[in-house]
Amino acid sequence: MADDKGSVAVVIERTFDAPVDFIWLMWTDPEHFKAWYGPDGATIPVATMDVRVGGTRLVCMEMQTPNGPMHMWFTGEYLQIVENERLVYTESMADEHGNVVSPSDMGMPEGHPVTTEIRVELEAVDGRTKMVMTHAGVPEDSPGAAGWTMAFDKLAAQVASRPG
Amino acid sequence: MPTATDEDQLSETFAALANSTRRAIVARLAEGEATVNELAEPFDMTLPAISKHIKVLERAGLVVRAHRAQYRPCALDGAPLEAISTWADQHRPVWEARFDRMDDYIAQLRQQRRASEQDG
Repeated sequence: MADDKGSVAVVIERTFDAPVDFIWLMWTDPEHFKAWYGPDGATIPVATMDVRVGGTRLVCMEMQTPNGPMHMWFTGEYLQIVENERLVYTESMADEHGNVVSPSDMGMPEGHPVTTEIRVELEAVDGRTKMVMTHAGVPEDSPGAAGWTMAFDKLAAQVASRPG
Repeated sequence: MPTATDEDQLSETFAALANSTRRAIVARLAEGEATVNELAEPFDMTLPAISKHIKVLERAGLVVRAHRAQYRPCALDGAPLEAISTWADQHRPVWEARFDRMDDYIAQLRQQRRASEQDG
């Protein structure tokens, strides 16, 4: 990415001081996933992951509010699984049974696409792991979605340079 | 407070961009306005097929067409792209914080492993 600002997908690159199989478990083992995934102030009481292509996932986030705990459920489908290398899954807001619900029904503060896609790419570098995570609003299995990141990078530059 | 309309608009923007021909058209228009004929040039497609794609982009608010000339040049409207950009900007800090925690968690696991190795 040329520029972090004004990008149309979230792309984050990090290097972790751990081998790739370790980082793979962080994403695919529910117990490890629960330990880091919850946003600050939230916990993950439920995470089920059927990690195979076409398998589903269901994750519950619990947030403490003055009115008691609030639960948000997310479901998704695994699209690509290459162990220790590449993980692609979709994400949608859901009810506790995994039925997809519209983000506006959940009172989301800003417009959200119904289904987004998370892509995790891992690469071993001297015993450490370089990870590139992409979160985008266009699922990779949607028609013609291949190669969209390149086009989005071009668009990002356009958005960033747009006056006012 | 955003409305369902904002959200529908965003979904429509994503849907419009979920097609490589339409993304190529948008990328071309990012360089400046163009006629339908000019937009069709790089593609092995009929003019009606290209027009169809342009109509989808118009509905999503990504493309506007001028009325000032008979050939009605197309231009890019960046506003829907900014909405996607806002969505991304909101999510980035959430992910950054998550990976900070992943880092801490990994350090914690290593420490535990070291401690148990020393005990054993």
